[in-house]
Amino acid sequence: MTDEVLSISTAGAAQATLPPVRGRVVRKKWLYSVLTFLTVFGPGLIVMEADNDAGAVSTYVQAGAQYGTRLLWILLLLLPVTYFIQEMVVRLGIATGKGHAAMIYQRFGRWWGMFSLVDLQLVNFLTLVTEFAAISLALSHMNIAPRVGVPLAAVALIVMVLSGSYRRWERVTVFLCLLDLAWVAIALKVRPSFGEIVHNTIVPGIPRGGVTASLMFLVIAIVGTTIAPWQLFFQQSCIADKRLRFSDVKWARLDTLLGAVFTIIVAGCMMLAGNAARMHGISFFDPAQMANDLHVFSGEAVRSAILLLMINAAVLGTTAISLSSAWAYGEVKGWPHSLEMPFRKAPGFYVTYVVCVGLAAAIVLIPRAPLQLIILGVQVLAGIMLPSAIIFLQLLLNDKELLGEQYVNKRWNNRVNWTIIIVLFILSLILAAQVAAPNLFPGS
Amino acid sequence: MSVMGLFRPTVIRDVPENHFVVIHPLDDVPEQKIDASALGPMPMTASVRLSLLALRGYLVLMMLLVFYHVMDLAGAFGHHAH
Repeated sequence: MTDEVLSISTAGAAQATLPPVRGRVVRKKWLYSVLTFLTVFGPGLIVMEADNDAGAVSTYVQAGAQYGTRLLWILLLLLPVTYFIQEMVVRLGIATGKGHAAMIYQRFGRWWGMFSLVDLQLVNFLTLVTEFAAISLALSHMNIAPRVGVPLAAVALIVMVLSGSYRRWERVTVFLCLLDLAWVAIALKVRPSFGEIVHNTIVPGIPRGGVTASLMFLVIAIVGTTIAPWQLFFQQSCIADKRLRFSDVKWARLDTLLGAVFTIIVAGCMMLAGNAARMHGISFFDPAQMANDLHVFSGEAVRSAILLLMINAAVLGTTAISLSSAWAYGEVKGWPHSLEMPFRKAPGFYVTYVVCVGLAAAIVLIPRAPLQLIILGVQVLAGIMLPSAIIFLQLLLNDKELLGEQYVNKRWNNRVNWTIIIVLFILSLILAAQVAAPNLFPGS
Repeated sequence: MSVMGLFRPTVIRDVPENHFVVIHPLDDVPEQKIDASALGPMPMTASVRLSLLALRGYLVLMMLLVFYHVMDLAGAFGHHAH
């Protein structure tokens, strides 16, 4: 056996004869690399693509409808930002084998641990309400009564995690992520101008009309929807639950990079769908209405696909966000918290998940629930929480006592990350200023 | 393979020379990780401690501001602000 083999299979592989272990013996090194990557693949794609949730669909199509392809460069800029942030989570998760909430609690004390947990649960719960609101909206456009469809969606989301198998949940979720490739087909169907797309993706520019309040809000919303606090908690807990090994770091990084690229491409395609509506002079309040109006020009298939993809985005967002809440709560409370455990062995973990999903679905079914206020609350709270959450991540990644020399940030990592934190803080302050003084920027 | 259902692992006892073993992380022997709970709180310099204190104040202030704004929008103070 080579050193390469020894490095992937822990103590048992150091002997010529392994203790009984499930796996696969291969002769070709490239096949070994491909299979190893596929065993590690999952958390990176899921954390990135689940972030293209219902709120993201709404934000990106709105950006396309208002500014065409002029804001595509922001997505390209956000690609390395999302990757750098989540790559730190990968190292932290693999090195400690524990979730993010547990790390903050153990290394920064009770106040910060509880603050992060309460803030996360609050933002997550409000986000879940928006996910179910999107499911309800899409269902009503498909002539399915929300009072039937929303509870069914909630039950399906609960069944998804109750199998007591991490692998089963991961396979289903990866499949749902890959369904989002349909956004690429929609973008091609609405016949975009490729020259304009390439130009506006690589050349940053301010749309005609200059910096207005609506542009500032939209830019902050795009940043806020592309990088969300729950992602830090979700991916680290997911990696810990999957028990990724030190030797998996490079494959987990690749998983995260591919996930980031996939997500940004899908987000760009959503903007192109919004741009198509703009080109046809369609104005809309939400993506479901856009789908309805766009079908005159693009056909019934595009209408149905957009509505189904809205539901898919909300389902993906709901499972990932609810899991990040359940994992975080389990870590801080010291409860068993793993998708590999059956319900009877981790009741607190599963009950948290079920309560998150069930309560959010129930709120959406209440007539005249203040959904607009909830959406505003999500955007503002997430904007406030994100920079501080990344500061803790940055401090943890410089903790040599915790990570040792091998996994702590290098100097260039720190330079990049502090730049990201400063930009996010500035955006957070602008958001706060706009909340306090709504007439700060000229109206659009 | 594992992710797409194509990878069918079997029980391995012997590994021939010049062959590679692929083991799913969940089937592998658990690794010894760093025990963060044994380390206790992170040692911090005075400037880091002060910065975190300032951050705590900023976050509390922002949360109160958001709460006031949302209540105002909800008409809790007797008028519709916006």
